[in-house]
Amino acid sequence: MGVTILQQFPTENRTGPDTIELLSKRIKALGAMQHGNFLVDCETYTSVPQLGHQRTVHVLHNSEQPATVFSILDTGTKTIPLATDGLFDLLMMKMSSFYTSKKQTKAESKGPRFEIGDFCVKLGTITVSSNFKGILVEVEYKPCVVPAMCWDLMKEFLQGFLGFSVPSTPPTYLQNRMQELYTPIDTIHQYLEQFMIYRKSPGIGVRT
Amino acid sequence: MERDIEQLNLALNNVKILRSNVRLVFESLSSGLRTEHGEEGKENKFILELQDLLTLVNNNLRDVEGAVSSLTTPPGPFSLGNSTHLSQETTQERQQLYGQLVNSYKWTDKIREYSAIAGNILATNSFNKTYKTFGTKRRKTQTSNHNVPPEVIENLITSIDRLFSDVAITSSRPFVPNPLIQASLGRVLKAMIAFKGLMIEWVVVKAHSESNDLWTESRYKVFRKVTENCHAAMCHFHSPMMPELAVRSFMHWFHSYITLFSAPCKRCGNHLHCNLPPTWRDLRTLEPYHEECK
Repeated sequence: MGVTILQQFPTENRTGPDTIELLSKRIKALGAMQHGNFLVDCETYTSVPQLGHQRTVHVLHNSEQPATVFSILDTGTKTIPLATDGLFDLLMMKMSSFYTSKKQTKAESKGPRFEIGDFCVKLGTITVSSNFKGILVEVEYKPCVVPAMCWDLMKEFLQGFLGFSVPSTPPTYLQNRMQELYTPIDTIHQYLEQFMIYRKSPGIGVRT
Repeated sequence: MERDIEQLNLALNNVKILRSNVRLVFESLSSGLRTEHGEEGKENKFILELQDLLTLVNNNLRDVEGAVSSLTTPPGPFSLGNSTHLSQETTQERQQLYGQLVNSYKWTDKIREYSAIAGNILATNSFNKTYKTFGTKRRKTQTSNHNVPPEVIENLITSIDRLFSDVAITSSRPFVPNPLIQASLGRVLKAMIAFKGLMIEWVVVKAHSESNDLWTESRYKVFRKVTENCHAAMCHFHSPMMPELAVRSFMHWFHSYITLFSAPCKRCGNHLHCNLPPTWRDLRTLEPYHEECK
């Protein structure tokens, strides 16, 4: 598990599949090989009013860590991340009387997964309750575990195939954690951050 | 020597020509009068032809004599030692021995010649910094560097450990007395270094998350490349006369990989080339370069 950067790619009047096609072509031209597909999904549960102060639980799955369920509890003042095994899904079902999910908010990012050198590139199509919302590009540099050490290097790589739509600063979530060891939960935090943006963004059939 | 052989060759050639022309004389004599002499005055023609041939032979003979007179006689008989008896060998398979013997003589001659030249070159470029002057100053005699007491190696390792604050070293001794150390370079990488006495025997570079096994390569391309370069540096710094210095300089060089992911290439200014960061560090200046840029 190495440092991962999550990055939006503007679609600019193109359709989702067209954009994926364009990026696939670019990355393949650089010498990447496709290694399967990937899927990250997120479901959000909110506590029922009887429990008092409202809390939100985001439950996420990442196909890169297939045996793990990630959950992030948002109390309003702080967030508590939790990594558990697959049984957590069943536990959430048991607790359906305390935590209810809004079905319309299920967000997903899925698409092809490429490997090129020590990099892993994932081109994800974002859907919120099966409405297309945008394109997310995930780039992982596997040998390095400290974001501060390899940010410049990753920025160069990103610019290499995304062009100059790459911002010069790291994602907001990572900015405070540049010197810390990178863990899979950090990727999940970045995905959640992006999903929250897309849920609020206007699109075709917005439901928040 | 070279001139002698040339003249000998010339003389032998002259003898060959002489022999072939003498043969022509006898051939002509034995066949007697032939149809090509025609009808008229055929005896005269035949005698003329014979005369021509004989003059040619005479000239050839003069050439041979000239060539022979310019040859220098060898000083005394050649002493071949026991190898003279080889010529009297009767069994088939041993008859080839003579040729092989001559070949091996040639080789020893060449070796003597080359070693003399090498000796001359080395004598003019003496190693001022090495053991010779060093030893006379300190009177330290070190007979071997792969069979040293474990305490000496232990001291070396602890001194290296103190040298760099961001290199953490743990050592184990699976094969007494040769230690195997694991050097963690910050949060960048770790290296397994196997010692043979005071010399570095083997280096493997891996990510922190990978196993400490000495025999498997890293699964990441960048660390495989760094391992390769470490081997090159290990050979470069190797010095049998001053093994401690060799280990120290190697560790100094190795420490420069602390910037493996963060430093751009000195030549092209980029971070990536072929999807790899600059994996080479200059051996003297420790500056980062891509494999292709160095």
